[in-house]
Amino acid sequence: MGKVKIKRKSTLIDMTAMSDVTVLLLTFFMLTSTFLQKEPVTVLTPSSVSEIKVPTNNLASILVSPNGKVFISVLGEADPTVADGEWASEPIRKQILENALGEWNRLHPSNKVSLTPSEIETFTKLNMFGVPFTQLKAFLDMSQTEQDKFISNMENPAAGIPVNDNRDLEKPNEFQIWMRAIYSSGNDNLQRALKRGEGIAVKADKGTPYAVVHDVLDNLQTLKMNRFSIMTALKSSED
Amino acid sequence: MAQIEQSDGGKKKKGAQKKMHIHVDFTPMVDMNMLLITFFMLCTTMIKSQTLQITLPTNEKVEEQEMNKAKESEGITMIVDVERNADGTAKKDENGDPVNIVYYYFGKPTITAEENNLQAEYFIGDENNLQRGVRKILHDRNKEVLKRIDELKAKWAAKEFSSNADINDSIYQARAKAIRNDSTIERPVVVIKATPEARWESLISALDEMQINQISRYQIDNINQVDSAMIIDYRAKHPAK
Repeated sequence: MGKVKIKRKSTLIDMTAMSDVTVLLLTFFMLTSTFLQKEPVTVLTPSSVSEIKVPTNNLASILVSPNGKVFISVLGEADPTVADGEWASEPIRKQILENALGEWNRLHPSNKVSLTPSEIETFTKLNMFGVPFTQLKAFLDMSQTEQDKFISNMENPAAGIPVNDNRDLEKPNEFQIWMRAIYSSGNDNLQRALKRGEGIAVKADKGTPYAVVHDVLDNLQTLKMNRFSIMTALKSSED
Repeated sequence: MAQIEQSDGGKKKKGAQKKMHIHVDFTPMVDMNMLLITFFMLCTTMIKSQTLQITLPTNEKVEEQEMNKAKESEGITMIVDVERNADGTAKKDENGDPVNIVYYYFGKPTITAEENNLQAEYFIGDENNLQRGVRKILHDRNKEVLKRIDELKAKWAAKEFSSNADINDSIYQARAKAIRNDSTIERPVVVIKATPEARWESLISALDEMQINQISRYQIDNINQVDSAMIIDYRAKHPAK
């Protein structure tokens, strides 16, 4: 009898098929992903059975932190072909900043704020803002990391847009100035969304005391923005 | 698969090149792809958040005559709050979160030394298709509407309105809306109030119950002194265990 020959097997594995699969998966994730927007505080929204999706364009979202700090984020038209890009996020934010500053300077002649073009440019790139007008210039001069640190620090008294229970629209508070500026930003689609109640989304943590959110709701009521939406997570009706 | 073989015509010619095996190793490529996939998987938000649309009443003073007064028998006032311990601190559940509680009364508030028509309930949802807690109260008050909507839903599930799914859906939505707003049926009017300490989550839960129980007439109102007095009185009469 002859010797049993043990065949030597090569340990090389062909990775081509594996590579094909991973590329497919990668393509899927790249196309479906929407990146998490940077927000100063992470909030856990309460859950509801409502199935209406948050719009991705023409939206002013108001973030209320658990200790009552308010931040605003404005999204314009996502499609650059609408109004020749005039209504995209950046030009809209610029217009809002101009309106808001004009109103602030008119009401507070002794405390005027004027920004340089580069500071305005920085503002248009911000996803979410929330500083008092008097701090705005200093805030926009900071580097991006410093800005993040500045508004994420909940102990910082200068983080968040000042809001109170003011009902006199002759002397609006800073939150009311911003909301009015957003309303009169000149983007018809945004204005229509605001009227329908789809343009404003209030986002608050589920543990936030009602008194804190109430200030914001009350201000919106005073501004006659009675229709708005509340951001929630999905739950089944059995819960 | 990943190699290219160059075979020559069999006969060796002079100066002909040697048979070559070009083998491309894909392992680093797979490594890199896996890293990228991991990155995208962690960075994406697959679940988009939902929105709940609400309309608040105007802040302006409404003339007494203009007010559309709800019939007393139809009115339910719900006050959301956090449950208290005997010493007044918020009661915590096993996860350390405060417990949401709902105080409610039907019709007008009644508060005297002996009487207080305030009652308390919790948000506990369903169990085996049986409504419990707040949901049961609202369900019982809106039975007629819910019954008709259930009938409608059965028709919708059987696609009786149209064989086209979209048309079927829209007809169902329109009919359901008509039932919710049908003034010939006895439907409740719910006023939702929240104490300053109430958690935001509990207000949303209350709004959610309106959707679940197909209640079309509800509004959010500010808490007043009578309501606060009733809660204090209720707590005094029903001390926490």
